[in-house]
Amino acid sequence: MPNKNFIHFLLLLLVTYRNKHISIFIISTVVVALLASLFFISTSIKKEIDLTLDAQADFVVQRYEAGKALSTPESWIDEFTQINGVENVSARVYGVHFFEPAEEYFLIVGIDFFDEHTTQALQKLINSIDVDKFLSKKNMIIGEGVKELLDYYHYFDYYIFRPPDRGKEKVYIYDVLPKETQIISNDIIFMDIDEARKVLGVEDGYVTDIVLNIANPLEVQTIKRKLIISHFNMRIIEKSAMKRYYANLFNYKGGIFLIFYIVILMTFFLILYQRYSMISHVDAKEIAILRLVGWRINEVIWLKVGENFLVALFAYLLGVILAYVFVFYLNAPLLRDIFLGSQNLAHSAGFIANINMEVLGLIFLLFVIPFIVAILVPVWRVAMKEPVEVMR
Amino acid sequence: MIVMKNVSKSFTHASQEMFHALHNITLLIEDGQCVVLSGISGSGKSTLLSIVGAIMRPTSGSVEIDGNNIVSFSDYHLSHYRNKTIGYVTQSFHLFESLSVRDNLLAPLVINDLSSSKIENMIESALKQANILHKANKKVFTLSGGEKQRCLIARALVNDPSIILCDEPTASLDKKNSLEFIEIIRTLHKLGKTIIIATHDPLFEELDCVDRFYKMNEGTIE
Ligand SMILES: Nc1ncnc2c1ncn2[C@@H]1O[C@H](COP(=O)(O)OP(=O)(O)OP(=O)(O)O)[C@@H](O)[C@H]1O
Ligand SMILES: [Mg+2]
Repeated sequence: MPNKNFIHFLLLLLVTYRNKHISIFIISTVVVALLASLFFISTSIKKEIDLTLDAQADFVVQRYEAGKALSTPESWIDEFTQINGVENVSARVYGVHFFEPAEEYFLIVGIDFFDEHTTQALQKLINSIDVDKFLSKKNMIIGEGVKELLDYYHYFDYYIFRPPDRGKEKVYIYDVLPKETQIISNDIIFMDIDEARKVLGVEDGYVTDIVLNIANPLEVQTIKRKLIISHFNMRIIEKSAMKRYYANLFNYKGGIFLIFYIVILMTFFLILYQRYSMISHVDAKEIAILRLVGWRINEVIWLKVGENFLVALFAYLLGVILAYVFVFYLNAPLLRDIFLGSQNLAHSAGFIANINMEVLGLIFLLFVIPFIVAILVPVWRVAMKEPVEVMR
Repeated sequence: MIVMKNVSKSFTHASQEMFHALHNITLLIEDGQCVVLSGISGSGKSTLLSIVGAIMRPTSGSVEIDGNNIVSFSDYHLSHYRNKTIGYVTQSFHLFESLSVRDNLLAPLVINDLSSSKIENMIESALKQANILHKANKKVFTLSGGEKQRCLIARALVNDPSIILCDEPTASLDKKNSLEFIEIIRTLHKLGKTIIIATHDPLFEELDCVDRFYKMNEGTIE
């Protein structure tokens, strides 16, 4: 085990001959930053998807005829409530609004403030506002992205919607959703359910769909059957199906990125190995001196591994910090598009900083250990030689 | 005491033919002796020093240092022997050019368990003996040839070894520096060190402090 003086000497050499390490340090930092960014993005998205799905209702029911989703009659709500085991039945009115000036879509969500809600996030939002005040006039709560766009086009206080009936609906901006509202996306607009009907052109007595939860997970299939029997023109979307869909999508992209990681790492270690198999003149000279003055092979290896471990460690730390800034402060320009598909308002909300120690540990293992191994072999080969041979 | 018995060293050249750099050398050097090996270039002086200095193994024969045959040592013990018993002043300047003279002297010491103050003292005294103390904090690459030589000597002395090996110590020195080197050798000789100098510098031929003068020729001692 190296003693204090040994470590002092190691640091002395490292600092004195820092130029020798600078290129590999820069390459390593970039590699780690890339790897860490990919990991940060993927865990962040995975987390977001999980949160989103957890917040979903078990069933989403729509009227569906001739392969097309139609407005769903409100009367179904009472019917469903009668079925044993069904709870939190509520209606949703939502739809997209095309914001022509910017060619962006807003998601309008109508909420019934006096209903019980299936999702906690929504419930939290409703609890946080003064409902009477909100309902006293035509108000809406908008996402950050919507706010930015409306500001840009000078709709500071209100926006005038053009419903399908060719009227005008002037709706005031009541508040902006805080950025951390994880589940609620950036492009969303919340308004009272009746107001949303007007804006979206949904007739009275109809809703976009009905969501409900099922108390006992074992009853899911039985209840699904009951629902299907009750109406022929009905489509049911199960939470588990959505989960599968997202999981597939994510795994597919994750697979692509796994290949990406591997390619990056392979290239990197090739560079590293190349560098050390033609072990630099400086390194060989150092080893020659050390062997001459009586260093044992293991001591030489300790020194070189120590030096390179420190280089790798600093590259790792810097790389992780850079990745953190890149992903969570700058929102990963370039990389985000690969992950999330083309840029759209819904996804510009940004990644939620969420650092998983396991992921950091994994990057550390994926990077530092092969780094050390890659230098170990050539250093060992040189150190094994007869000292006089290295000295020449 | 150094006892070499039937030491041979051969190299396989690129043309696959064997080349005998040393041929059945038998040599006895008493403790505290100062020995000069002379001979033309290629006669095997450096090869012999390398074998005594344990940076090269002979093809055959034995080398006994204080009764131990170092040829049978493992690399682990050989390294220890180099560190403790040998002070090697190599022909080319095997130094960390970007480190200071003082820091260069750390190399043989840091692998041993020594206190910082002990290390300080050892370095100080070696620098004094090699007459380079005044340049202790200068980086090696800023030194003159003679100063680098003395830095090398200081490093060879820092562990207080009993055997000092010098390979062509005056080859790159001017007359003044060469004489200064001889002064250092004289002091070391008085301290009772065993000294082996490989050289073809005639300066060493008439030295009073030299106990034995061997002439080498084609891998043998005449
Ligand atoms: N590693 C090696 N491979 C092949 N031949 C070698 C090797 N080392 C030394 N020799 C040969 O052995 C012979 C003796 O070499 P050595 O270096 O001992 O000579 P020397 O007496 O020190 O010469 P010089 O005065 O030039 O330093 C030379 O002919 C040299 O070419
Ligand atoms: Mg020579």
